Amino acid sequence: VASGARAWLLQRLTAVYMLLFLVIVLARFAADAPSSYEAWRSWIGAAGMRIATLLFVAAVLLHAWVGLRDVAMDYVHPPALRIGVLALVAAGLAAAGAWMALILVVL
Amino acid sequence: MRFSIYRFDPERDARPYMQDYELALDPHDRMLLDALMRLRAQDDSLAFRKSCREGVCGSDAMNINGRNGLACITRLTELKEPVTLRPLPGFPVIRDLVVDMGTFFDHYHAIRPYLVNDEPPPERERLQSPEERAALDGLYECILCGACTGFCPSWWWNPDRFLGPAALLQAMRFIADSRDRATAERLEFLDDAYRLYRCRTIMNCTEVCPKHLSPSRAIEHIRRKIVSEGL
Repeated sequence: VASGARAWLLQRLTAVYMLLFLVIVLARFAADAPSSYEAWRSWIGAAGMRIATLLFVAAVLLHAWVGLRDVAMDYVHPPALRIGVLALVAAGLAAAGAWMALILVVL
Repeated sequence: MRFSIYRFDPERDARPYMQDYELALDPHDRMLLDALMRLRAQDDSLAFRKSCREGVCGSDAMNINGRNGLACITRLTELKEPVTLRPLPGFPVIRDLVVDMGTFFDHYHAIRPYLVNDEPPPERERLQSPEERAALDGLYECILCGACTGFCPSWWWNPDRFLGPAALLQAMRFIADSRDRATAERLEFLDDAYRLYRCRTIMNCTEVCPKHLSPSRAIEHIRRKIVSEGL
């Protein structure tokens, strides 16, 4: 539940990482797309790629949390309703994160 | 010239309404305020604020054809008819075009709009180099008319807790001042999810500032300063 400057900085840093990750992955695909499912699997399954992807998922979730929390602070004013909305958002993001982690670790 | 003006007298009207006016301009009428003065001579129930009538006092900020600006420096020739006048959006209306600036000035006072320096004063004055003085350009010229704050969606949603562009520009004015010694306290006060970080860089403030200042840039500088000072 980062406050002012920390949340703002977190959103910017995660944005930079997401941009770098997407550019690199897209460039890799444009240059040399995996030709088969096996090739794709061995590419994404490499330890470095798994860690980078896991970091990317974490960045997406943190970025989304700061953004959606901002939306709730702007528009959802009744305290009980806001806590409910934020709890739903947090649960949804945590579930998405857990699912992605499961896929990337068990893969 | 045709006008459509927001009217509301809480003692008489159940709800606000738009009133149409038709006005024969005098050849010497240049600015919207000239026309408003003429309209008031026609209908003395019409309420609006004005004082210096030359863009210095900041009294006659209003929403002119959908954009906030000062009536006294808005040229009549540049306005599409009917000229639609409304009070500053987001401010509580007292009557017609007169709004309650109470919260606006509360936020202004909250940023401590004065030099804080407990060091013993020198014999004559606290000197600044030309460069230090130049750091205040683009900040000190604000006349607190409220055009920017009244055009800021972030402030519309949280007028009581977000300080708004005018107060934040003023905050930067004192952070940037080489004679001030309270920068750390000022930044700590501003490092708050509501006071500063409701700003979404929408930049409506910079778009409408009648003095052509940039509260957006001032806010950006405050954020960078908070990060670089490691708070």
